[in-house]
Amino acid sequence: MKGSIIWNLQRYSSIYLLGYLIYIFINVYSSNLNFFSWSEFFLSFQTRILSSIAFILVITHAFIGLWTVGTDYLTYRTLGFLNKSLSKYADIYRKIYYFLFVLLGAMYLALVLYIIWL
Amino acid sequence: MISNKLKVSLYRYNPEEDKFPYMKEYSIEKPDRDIMVLDLLHLLKEDDQSISFRRSCREGVCGSDGMNINGKNGLACITPISSVIKRNKIELRPLPGLPVIRDLVVDMTEFYAQYEKIKPFLQNETTAPEQERLQSPEERDKLDGLYECILCACCSTSCPSFWWNPDKFVGPAALLQAYRFLADSRDLKTQERLESLSDPFSVYRCHGIMNCVNVCPKGLNPNKAIGEIKSMLHKNKKDIIVSDGV
Repeated sequence: MKGSIIWNLQRYSSIYLLGYLIYIFINVYSSNLNFFSWSEFFLSFQTRILSSIAFILVITHAFIGLWTVGTDYLTYRTLGFLNKSLSKYADIYRKIYYFLFVLLGAMYLALVLYIIWL
Repeated sequence: MISNKLKVSLYRYNPEEDKFPYMKEYSIEKPDRDIMVLDLLHLLKEDDQSISFRRSCREGVCGSDGMNINGKNGLACITPISSVIKRNKIELRPLPGLPVIRDLVVDMTEFYAQYEKIKPFLQNETTAPEQERLQSPEERDKLDGLYECILCACCSTSCPSFWWNPDKFVGPAALLQAYRFLADSRDLKTQERLESLSDPFSVYRCHGIMNCVNVCPKGLNPNKAIGEIKSMLHKNKKDIIVSDGV
């Protein structure tokens, strides 16, 4: 994948999330805040769509960040600074780390989408 | 009572004798005048001939005596001790992130490999004019702040992204030079140069923490050059999309 695609994904997802937060705050504080107005707002089709996109982008943003952390710190070289025998298994550690955060990310996203839509 | 002694803590490592590197403490009579860190090293070497460091021009042109002085990279020959001394002490270490050959001498192979990767020479296959390829004053102005780099490696070795991925991330010094040729109106390989930098590591591992700008002994701004390369990569991508559409 091109570096610019990753770079753009990270920047534009941040901008979208900022916009989403502003949208939430404006809607919440422009009405009388109570359980019914809160529920009505979050159950509207428009908010459901915007929330779903927001959480998909949260996962995308986090994935890029964690991938960067993994390729920086879980490498043969970087682990070698700590311990040479530890660094031999750097590729395995990194794969386990990727597997864990992809699994947790997928579970988190599935749960959030379930809460939003059902 | 003010001490007349200057303490120098020096990184020592001789792979033929030492199992691990260590810091050796030296105490030296404070010089009467403000001298450079390189002069201080020479004074130490008079007493201890085994100290190793690189030096050549001793006036900030050759870039061979880059080292970590009290936690900040710089050229020993143009750094006055008065500007770095802390509590009457100076700590000298080799440039961080590169393998140490001996004492303050580092192996710069990885640094030069990245420099080689960006093809630091003018590429123009058109027929050469009789005298020289001319530039307008405006075109020439674009190269100011780029060509002055002396490849001392102070910037690249202060960059955490280069510490972690010196084989993949090109590093600020080489990226400054990459932009020097991208910005040159006489170079015609802009597309190829941008293509070779478009992966997620070469340029995009720069997170803009500005360590490179902070330490550059020539006052250059590699971070700005990296920003310009990123802009070119984005514009280049858009150009490709537009031309494909047409």
